[in-house]
Amino acid sequence: MLTFVIKRIVISIPVLIGITALLFIMLNVIPGDPIALLMKEHASADVIERVRSQMHLDDPLITRYFRFLFAALQGDLGVSIKLNRDVTTLILNAFPNTLILTICAALVSWVIGIPVGVLSAVRRDSLVDHLFMGFSLVGVSMPIFWSALLMQYVFALKLKWLPVSGFYGYQYVIMPAIVLGWSSAGVIARLTRSSLLEVMRHDYIRTARAKGLRELLVIRRHALKNALIPVVTIMAIQVAGLLSGAVITEAIFGIPGVGRISVNAIQARDMPLLQGSVLFATVLVILGNLVADILYSVLDPRIRNEMKGGSK
Amino acid sequence: MLNKVKFLMATGLVTIALASNSLAADHVLRIAYQEDPKTVDVQMTQDFYTLPLNVYDRLVEAETSGPGQTQLVPGLAERWDVSDDGKTYTFHLRQGVLFHNGEELTADDVVYTFDRMLDPKTKALSTDILNFVDGATERLEGTTTSVPGLQAVDKYTVKVVLKEPYAAFVALLASPGASIYNRKFTEPLGDQYGLTPETTNGTGPFVLKEYNLNDNQILAANEKYFKGRPKLDEIIIRVVADSETLRLLFESGELDVFDIDYAPTQLPYFIGSDQWKDQVRSGPRVGMYYYHINQALKPFDDVRVRKAFQMAINRDEILQKNFYGKGAIENGVIPRGISCYTAATPIEYNPAKAKALLAEAGYPDGVDINLTQVSSWSSKWSDMNQIIQAQIKEAGFNAQIKTMDESAYFASRKAGTVDNYTQNWSADFNDPDNFFYTFFSKSGTAVRGYNNNDEEVFAALDKARSMTNAEERCALYQKMTDRIVQEDAAWVPMFSLDHAYVVQPRVKNFVVPWNGWSDMSYYKMEVE
Repeated sequence: MLTFVIKRIVISIPVLIGITALLFIMLNVIPGDPIALLMKEHASADVIERVRSQMHLDDPLITRYFRFLFAALQGDLGVSIKLNRDVTTLILNAFPNTLILTICAALVSWVIGIPVGVLSAVRRDSLVDHLFMGFSLVGVSMPIFWSALLMQYVFALKLKWLPVSGFYGYQYVIMPAIVLGWSSAGVIARLTRSSLLEVMRHDYIRTARAKGLRELLVIRRHALKNALIPVVTIMAIQVAGLLSGAVITEAIFGIPGVGRISVNAIQARDMPLLQGSVLFATVLVILGNLVADILYSVLDPRIRNEMKGGSK
Repeated sequence: MLNKVKFLMATGLVTIALASNSLAADHVLRIAYQEDPKTVDVQMTQDFYTLPLNVYDRLVEAETSGPGQTQLVPGLAERWDVSDDGKTYTFHLRQGVLFHNGEELTADDVVYTFDRMLDPKTKALSTDILNFVDGATERLEGTTTSVPGLQAVDKYTVKVVLKEPYAAFVALLASPGASIYNRKFTEPLGDQYGLTPETTNGTGPFVLKEYNLNDNQILAANEKYFKGRPKLDEIIIRVVADSETLRLLFESGELDVFDIDYAPTQLPYFIGSDQWKDQVRSGPRVGMYYYHINQALKPFDDVRVRKAFQMAINRDEILQKNFYGKGAIENGVIPRGISCYTAATPIEYNPAKAKALLAEAGYPDGVDINLTQVSSWSSKWSDMNQIIQAQIKEAGFNAQIKTMDESAYFASRKAGTVDNYTQNWSADFNDPDNFFYTFFSKSGTAVRGYNNNDEEVFAALDKARSMTNAEERCALYQKMTDRIVQEDAAWVPMFSLDHAYVVQPRVKNFVVPWNGWSDMSYYKMEVE
């Protein structure tokens, strides 16, 4: 297992370097000038040119890239052009907010998604199934900005149960977590349902039933464990995605998270900050995949054997 | 991390302040803006002035004297003299003014502040303020390490010598970019100045108490403010990107002021609402909506086409339909409220005449043109473009609307390749120079995508900057207005709009600032 994890981490290093190079090239191909953007309507050609040169932005691309890479390898991601703050500190300061939102949203999506999926599969084609699947379809289909607005209107403005926006205590996490969690819950419910239905057709389920096990036990002990493997993959990737910033949710609910930082960076053509955010997101996605693989092995002994180097 | 979690879960002071309405009983003003200002170092921004206007003072202040009117009043300088040749300004500082860190303001602080702005190491964006100071250019270029035009004569006297007279200089010193710093505090901080409460220090009515990036900033009353302690104890400014969330925050009583600029389409709702109609505060904006014309691109290199473009736009219809008639049509270069303003020759709306002009210019069957807009901007711009696209069609302009992101837009403006666009400019200081030079000087037009190509105008605007006779100067500007708008048809002045805010009933003394900015000083405001 350890060898497997180390191997995966080593493989991801060229991926990271490749992504930084790609990003560097892409950002230089698309038009935009961070200093002109800082000055906006007050732009003055002399000032723009002077500040660009003072910030070494007019150095050749290759010089800037290797300067960045050399510093990044030493753990220094540079200073944001727009925010004039250390990129690593900016991301690490914003990350806990995103982490809290992600954990809460993920919990909401699992707590809703998995039971709904299981119930729908067990009561296939019943009224419950149709109701639940309809509910999850709404979750998947409804844009976050719309469900967020509806919730704000009902629970904050009309009922006054929850604050409209901000991130200053547990009551502030409830609405964004539900909005974000609901949209992922739909995906998880549908996946759990289809996966469980697939598993229920297998011979070993028939065997389990034949030996007289109660249906609940059949599902819990035999079916669900197998059905959850694809669900776990989606969950891990979903969490990794959420951790790199739920851009819209963070903007609507005023959460100072990683998503806000990334949007700032893209809009401002803020190269150091964008490199930092993308590197961070890449690491999270790689880690998310790694965690999914490890969870596989916990759920499925065959995969565990494979990781140990054993044959099928 | 643990601290962060503790912070989030604990119901600390900030939580209570932001979450509950109980503090509405105290003198805490709760406001919001959509984008974080990033810094309180005003030399490093051209955009975000709420914090600087409340944390710092300037030598001279532009005080709002009536709707859309201003007068220059003594600030940190209790008086100033100008030499007969208009080149030497002597500022006599108030004695006993204290910075937030307890240091007394001296002439050396003023010299330091301006020198810092010009020091290449600062990488300042606001250097235009000091363009006329003797030695400023050399200091900016790094060929000298001091500025001969900036001198501390004694502890409380500052002398500023200009290369040539500049009539707008004192007005410019009242703009937020000319806020005064403390040398002892600021110098050792380098580029870290203004990023946190610990690295920020001014003389202003409020002290920066908390700075949470992309979240909120909190200002506390300066107990020792030289003009007297402000009536407010605290100002909490939240950063809320989404305009609909802002409105909900206001309506649920979590914000005291709602700036209609953040959601212009909500104006009819607030005006029509029984709850809010008496709470709307509105004032003229000393600013101008305009349509920019790029003369470097065909077919707009031909004055007849530009003239046709001016005549093809029904500005009144846009003002009525898109902005509910809350403003006034403008025909010149400077809007109502700026000194030297007089009503300019009206631009006629006449699509038939525009069509004839296009035919005369060689486009009898109409001409294809592009209009540019930015995707991340408020929908008011795209709404305007759609109306204009339909209006000018009648005259024969077949307009395509091109949408680009903000970065690409500013890059194409700088490169001079941008297509015609509509924008708005609000006064930074009360002088015609702020409009004329910004748009129609040689350097100004170059960075905006060539809306002027008239050497005579370039020369006249350079001359007007250093004229000392106010009457002659105004006359020259009036002449240039006709030349630019009527003869050259270099841009389409549209209208100046009112700026409306809605305030909670507990807010008292809310005065729309003279220039109609969203950024304002809250010194005189009160909450019940």
